[in-house]
Amino acid sequence: MIRFKSIISRIVILHVIAVAVTSVLMSVALSWLLSVATNNIHNEAMGEQAVSLAGHLALKADGSFSLDLPPSLQGLYSQPYGRYSYAVVDDTGKTLFSSLKDKAPVFAADPRVSTVQFLETRIGDAAISGASIRRIIGGKTVWVQAAEDLANRDVLIDDIVEDFYKHVGWITLPILLVLLVIDIAIFRRALLPLRQASETAQQIGPARTDIRLPLDEIPGEVRPLVSAINKALDRLDEGFRLQREFTADAAHELRTPLSILRTRVETLDDPRIAKALHLDIEAMSRVVGQLLDIAELEAFAIDPQETADLQAASAEVAGFVAPLALEQGREIALLGATTPVWIKGNAEMIKRAIRNLAENAIRHAPKNTVVEFVVEENGTVTVQDRGPGITEEERELIFRRFWRRDRNHQGSSGLGLSIVQRIAELHDAKIEVENRVMGGAQFSLHFTPCAAPDTRGT
Amino acid sequence: MRLLVIEDNATLSELLAKGLRTAGYEVDLLATAAEARAVLMTTSYAAIILDLGLPDGDGLSILRELRHRKDSTPVLVLTARGGLQDRVSGLRSGADDYMVKPFALEELVARLEAQLRRPGQQLGSSLHIANLEFDLRSRQAVIDDQPQMLSSRETAVLELLMRSKGRVVSKKQVEDHIFGLSGDVASNAVEVYVHRLRKQLSDKGAKVQIHTIRGVGYLIAEEKA
Repeated sequence: MIRFKSIISRIVILHVIAVAVTSVLMSVALSWLLSVATNNIHNEAMGEQAVSLAGHLALKADGSFSLDLPPSLQGLYSQPYGRYSYAVVDDTGKTLFSSLKDKAPVFAADPRVSTVQFLETRIGDAAISGASIRRIIGGKTVWVQAAEDLANRDVLIDDIVEDFYKHVGWITLPILLVLLVIDIAIFRRALLPLRQASETAQQIGPARTDIRLPLDEIPGEVRPLVSAINKALDRLDEGFRLQREFTADAAHELRTPLSILRTRVETLDDPRIAKALHLDIEAMSRVVGQLLDIAELEAFAIDPQETADLQAASAEVAGFVAPLALEQGREIALLGATTPVWIKGNAEMIKRAIRNLAENAIRHAPKNTVVEFVVEENGTVTVQDRGPGITEEERELIFRRFWRRDRNHQGSSGLGLSIVQRIAELHDAKIEVENRVMGGAQFSLHFTPCAAPDTRGT
Repeated sequence: MRLLVIEDNATLSELLAKGLRTAGYEVDLLATAAEARAVLMTTSYAAIILDLGLPDGDGLSILRELRHRKDSTPVLVLTARGGLQDRVSGLRSGADDYMVKPFALEELVARLEAQLRRPGQQLGSSLHIANLEFDLRSRQAVIDDQPQMLSSRETAVLELLMRSKGRVVSKKQVEDHIFGLSGDVASNAVEVYVHRLRKQLSDKGAKVQIHTIRGVGYLIAEEKA
């Protein structure tokens, strides 16, 4: 079975085959019809000749027949002309008259045959075809035969047949080809709404789940498919919506009790217990926050048009984590680019990624060291620390959810880097993990740089 | 000073009220958007603490209505949703500040005070860090109850840093604050003033430290022992 890539190619190929078959069949049919028609003309002519010959046949007083042909007819049947021949046969099978040399009948006549008969025979090499009619003259029955040598058939008829193939026969092919072109045009027109629907479908993505394919112009045959696709999109959209709602609901249900807990702890009388509980709540809140981040990221899609200033995002995160870092005896520094570095992506997500890298670095950096953010013009941000670094074996593990080097390590949920990885994935950004020459780890995120957004617009 | 807390969780709401009353505020509690709408039509508060997830509607719509009436009462939004879109839409709807649950009561009070101290708002007292005090009305720095003589620019830097306690102030913000739009500023001007301020404070025995966050800005914090 041939596999077709498109409906059009299927139509063209099948149509070409149909054209080929039709033109052959048509030629055969036409030539058959034509030969039938010419045979009829010939037979009719032969019949008429026999009738005309019979008109010249007369019964003499002695009971024998006389055939008195006018000279024009004699010439027609003359031996030298050789094209036509005649014979008259009586009911005993005896040849009364014949234009042939040996006075033989043209056709071996069967006395019992009906009035008119069309016969064919061969005399020598010549194919002879003609008619035999029965006549009763003066009570005696005779058969008058008139025949034509087919080799000398009427030139006019042959010309017509030949002409037919030359001019009429060949015209069927172009007509069929024109029909093919028209068919293709019709189909292309009919498929236009489908092509438009495909273009609409192109825009559908996680960021635009609201688009549906237009049904108005779609041909009835394809409509079930298109509406099924729309329904599938509805279900996907619903899925995304539920996921987002879940995240919002879960956030509320988890964070409100934490708030209560935290506020209760703040009013405790014993400051030592309060402080310890406070740290626990902090850690718990962090995990909840990160889990919610992950849930949100699952249903998050970036608008491809979105751009962000990586320098500003890094500066904001650096500023955000600095108080906490200082409190824990680590310093923060932002190096590299000092002017906007525009990249493709969602600023809020990018900040989250950098923040998670920063919190990770702060946690691993020894006291009185600097955690550095380096922003490069090519859309790269690097967060580096002076911690223990990352061993070769750990490089894959660190991005796993809930993976921690030290499972007893306070304040780490093991989710931070998996969030970073997910955000990087969403942005088609590459994550690079390296150990620094003087010790410590460095994480780089390579984003796609882009032109500064048009600030004249909104 | 009377505050309105709109929060549907009764426990949290009671705890908030308790904390705020301890901090010296009078507090009214409401649990639904409908109640809040009705009350806000007739009563005005010094500030409103608004939870976004209310049982009968989105807290943001209350905020929008308030701002639509040209009511500029400071509104501090509480939300469980730390999601980016939520944060943006909250601030766009006219929230003055935004806190994601779970928050520290202490921080809530601090942020509330920051809002109330803004020009046109009701609180006009002073800011404290360790033994350093800054009187916002007289713009006077006080260390261990001793008024200090600082230049006007040093005072401006100190005020900005203390107003932003716990947060990093960018170099650009300091620049804008002390020089405004007045022409060229020497590239190291901010460093010079911060350096002088730092020296003054340590000479006078203030137990605070002005940290430089390289590439980002400055942060004032209590000196660590």
